[in-house]
Parts: sequence; C-alpha cells; structure tokens
Amino acid sequence: MFSDIFSNIGLGLSVAATFQNLAYCGVGVLLGTLVGVLPGIGPVTTVAMLLPISFTLEPTSALIMMAGIYYGAQYGGSTTAILINIPGEASSVVTSLDGHQMARQGRAGPALGIAALGSFFAGTVATFVIAFGAPPLAKLALQFGPAEYFALMLCGLVAAVVLARGSVIKAIAMVVLGLIFGLAGSDVNSGIRRFTFDVQGLADGIEFVALSMAIYGVAEVAVNLEKKKEDVATVGHVGNLLPSLSELKQCTPSVLRGTFLGSILGVLPGGGALLAAFAAYTLEKKVAKAPRNFGNGDIRGVAAPESANNAGAQTSFIPMLTLGIPSNPTMALMIGALMVHGITPGPRVMTDRPDLFWGVVASMWIGNLMLVVLNLPMVGVWVKLLRLPYRMMFPMIVGFCCIGAYTINTNVTDIWVMAFFTVFGYLCLKLDCEPAPLILGFILGPMMEENLRRALLISRGDPGIFLQSPISVGFLIAAAGLLLIVAAPAIRAKREEALAE
Amino acid sequence: MFIRAPKDFWSGLMFIGFAAVTLIAASGYSMGRGGRMGPGYFPTLLGAVLALLGLILLVRSFAIRGEAVERIQLRPLLVLTICVVLFGLMIQPLGLVIALSVTTFVVAIAGREVRFKEAALLSTGLTLVAVFIFVFALRLPLPIWPSL
Repeated sequence: MFSDIFSNIGLGLSVAATFQNLAYCGVGVLLGTLVGVLPGIGPVTTVAMLLPISFTLEPTSALIMMAGIYYGAQYGGSTTAILINIPGEASSVVTSLDGHQMARQGRAGPALGIAALGSFFAGTVATFVIAFGAPPLAKLALQFGPAEYFALMLCGLVAAVVLARGSVIKAIAMVVLGLIFGLAGSDVNSGIRRFTFDVQGLADGIEFVALSMAIYGVAEVAVNLEKKKEDVATVGHVGNLLPSLSELKQCTPSVLRGTFLGSILGVLPGGGALLAAFAAYTLEKKVAKAPRNFGNGDIRGVAAPESANNAGAQTSFIPMLTLGIPSNPTMALMIGALMVHGITPGPRVMTDRPDLFWGVVASMWIGNLMLVVLNLPMVGVWVKLLRLPYRMMFPMIVGFCCIGAYTINTNVTDIWVMAFFTVFGYLCLKLDCEPAPLILGFILGPMMEENLRRALLISRGDPGIFLQSPISVGFLIAAAGLLLIVAAPAIRAKREEALAE
Repeated sequence: MFIRAPKDFWSGLMFIGFAAVTLIAASGYSMGRGGRMGPGYFPTLLGAVLALLGLILLVRSFAIRGEAVERIQLRPLLVLTICVVLFGLMIQPLGLVIALSVTTFVVAIAGREVRFKEAALLSTGLTLVAVFIFVFALRLPLPIWPSL
C-alpha cells in the first residue's frame, strides 16, 4: 500500500512539477494572495471572481491554479486580519483576535511569520492526509449504491445547516431552495425542460458560476456599499518577520494541535477552514501552557487557528474529489470549475484521471511552499495594497464578475441570471438567510434527485431501501442526530455563542 | 403592527413565493409513481417542504420577537444591477472595450463618494488590464470592438 502511495505521489509530482503547471500554481497563489489581501474581499469572493481565468486552461492546470488561488486567498485574508483587523471572512476572525493585538504591540512581523510557517507545516501534513485518506474513501464510495449516496448527501446538507449562522429553519429553507434552483433545465430522464419558463438559455439549467458570482461578488458589494464611510486603514510597523526561537518553541505544540484538528474537521461535510479555526482556538485556550495571554496578543492564538484553517481548507478537498460532495461554498466553486471542463467529481476521478487527482494533490504541497517563499519577502507590497480604498476595488469585482458570467458559455442569458441572483442574494443577506446552504443545495440538487430516483426504481417504490444498508442507515442517523443537536435549546445557545462573531 | 420578527416575516414570504412558483410550474410535469418517479415528483416534494418552512417562519414571526430589517438602500443595489444588465446589453454588439469601460465607470456611482476623474482613470485601467488578460493572454472568446 505504501509503495502505491509513493508511486502515486511520484506521478503527482511529475504532473505538478512541469514548468507549465508550476507557473499556473505560482500565478494562482500570487493572484489569490493579491486579491485576498484586499480588505473586504474574502476567499470565496476571490475564488468566484478569478474563476474565469481558468476556463481556457487544461483541467489539471485549471484545478491546480484554482487551488492555488484558494489557499493564497486564505493566507491573504489572514494578513488583512492581522494587520488591520478586517477579516475577509469568518475563518480569519479568530486570527484577528490575537494577531491584531500582536500587530498593535509592534509584533506584526512574527504574527505574519508564524501564520506562514504554521500554514506551511499544516499544508504539508494535510497533503499526506489526502494522499493516504482519499484512496480508501474513493474505494468505499465506489461501492455506494444510490441509496447510500442519497443518505450521504442528505447528511452533508444537514451538516451545512448546522454550521450556518442564525436560524435553523431559514438554513433548511435555503438548502431546499438551492435544490430547487439546481433542478432547473432539461430533466435527464424525461428530457422535459423544467423551470426554464421558455427561456432558451436556461435549457442547460441555471449557470452555477453566474449564480455564485452574483451572490458572493455583486450582491456582497451592494451590501458593503451600504456600510458607513470606510476608515482608511492604518498599518503599523511590521518588523522582522521571523519569529524568535523561543516563540517558535512555544508555538510548536499549538501548530501540531491545530494541524491535527484542522485535518480532521476539514474532511467532515459542512466543515473546512472556518470550523477548524474556531475549534483550534477554543482548544488552545483550554490546553495551552501558562503564561497564557489569549486575546491580548498570544502568538499561540495565531499559530493554532492558522495551521488549523490551512489544514482544514486542504483536507476539505477530500470529500470534494472522492465523493463529489462539496463541504463548503469554495469547494462547490471548485466543482463548478471542474464541471466547466466536463469532469464530474466523484470516486471515478481517481481511477479515470489519476494524473489530475495526484497532480493537484502534489501541487498543493508545492503551492504551500510557494506561499511561504513568496509571502515573506512580499509583505511590503501587501501592506501597500491594504491602503486601497473600497471605491477602487468594487468596480473591479463587478467588472470581473460580468466578464466571467459571460465567457463561461459565451451566452448573454448567464448575465441576466447574474442580475437576477444579485437582487436575490442581496435580499438574502438583508434577511439573514445564509447563502452557503443554498450553494451546496444547488450543486447537490440534480445528484440527489437522480439517486433518489434510482434508489426507488431498484426498490420498486419502497422507501425501506434507505434502511437496508448499514452505510445508508449510518448517514441517516448522523443526519437525524445533527438535526436534533441544533434543535436542542441548550446546545443551540452554545452554537450561537461559537458562531457569533 | 403585529409582526414581531420582520426578518422572519419577509423571508417566510419570500420562501412561500418561490414555493408557489415551484409548485405551479411542477404541476405541469408528470408526477409518476414512487417506483418510477416522473419529472414532477422531486420538485413537488421540495416545493411542499419549502412552503411548509416558509409558513412556519411566517406564523412564528407573529409570535416570537426578532430583529428588524436594516434600512434598505436602493441606490447601490439598483446601480449594480443596472450595470450588470448594461454589460449584458453591450457585450455582443459593442465589444469588451466599450462594455467594460462603461460598466465600470457607471458602477462607481453606486459608491458613497463619487470622484469622476478617478472613476474614469480606474475604468480605463481596468479595461486595458482585462483586454490584456482575458483576450490576449487567456484567449477567451470575447469581441474587443463593435462588430458591424
């Protein structure tokens, strides 16, 4: 088995280390950091906005570049969180707690340094977790029948509901609405066009890229523009980037704990960087050795969540690549990117396209290395970018989204779709309806219907088929358990507390 | 008013609206039976669940107190949506240069502070960069100039 893994990693390296793919990986990491560092632009928006640049690439290069953009954006977001306390998205909130305090005390350098080093270590470990964990999972998934798949997807959607902020009912409703939107277009079995309202351009369904750009790009701009006059960010002295030896020593256990926790939580449906960062910080506050100074610039409060969110961001590729199930909106975007190239993520990718699978895995490690090498010397540039006012950024976001929505199919209908979902996304954000569950529902909608249909076809309409296989029962119990947990008032209060910020 | 949780009230209404459209549209597709699901089966199921959830939100909003909806400012949303539509109208007949520079220039009005000189410079710069990246480097099928 070990020799298998290493020959696979060898194959991956041979794909990832071609000049072309190294270049795409580097460009992805650089662009991701560049956009991710801009205040107010989070990783999901970054990935959505930069999606069109991968359209014309070959699938492997495209995914390598998108992955690079993703962790580049993640790292860029942490830089923003540490230096000016404006986290681009929720997963960087935790970093800003101690990271920004450190920056205010003139220790921004070590905070950025440990974030980069911790992320690199976590990324290295997570790469191996993927290399070892993905093949058995894919093998298992190949045995899944439609009933198991349906139960698995149900479980994944419930997990997405549990992790959404705010009202559970709204989150469930958003999932259901996402499933419905996902069904639009020609029905595979009957050929009937559903929910197209006689619009020719909707025959292939609602374009996911246009929908996600509308919600995470344009609608978010609309909400951001309503906020009060922006403050111009002031950035203090960054100082020496390398943490001192004693700081490194202090951080080592935190980095290890964060990496471990992040690698596990990333794989769970609904997990990923956000959950990992929160859990790691909470754990760190409980178990770290004295003297503890959390909330006031404890370097371990940066090291642990940064390692965890990078590990989680990376291992969340496992369910995406092996099961075809996105655990968070960014992974949904990755699936969208793969589908543009005619590849449906699932257990078959590993056997049918080993070059793609292992190439991407190997490139993750290379990308993480590039991230460290690029970022440490380029901090000065990022600091300058932080001073860019929002009024210079949002035209760029809107412009890129327009180009992206149009070029994906060279079809103007996708622009109208984007306009529609801009208004819809704005309303959702105003009404506290989280878009993440909708996005996941949208991706899973057609697959769920297909599997439900097949399962019931096999059983001749008897819903008991979902209770016949232990795997499917397991998923259903997990889903029911998760729902019960959020419904229980005591735990609900805790969850609100944890997700409050 | 009797509405105690405006956010829940309006989202409930929104979900019911979508559910109604779903159910009406799905009623035109054949349902099939459990063992042989027709194209109408799953959408009808989802539409019914969505309607139920919307209804719960709606009813609950009269009973349990909740947050008020923040003031909706129409200008940013309207300007942004119009700009997206403008881009859609212009891209095929007029090409990327005109469509993008007009869109990114007009979109600047959505902001709180409008500086025309800056917006003009920005839209010119963005257009140059976009033409270079998307058309020359990535070879995306975008028309650059008006097609006559």
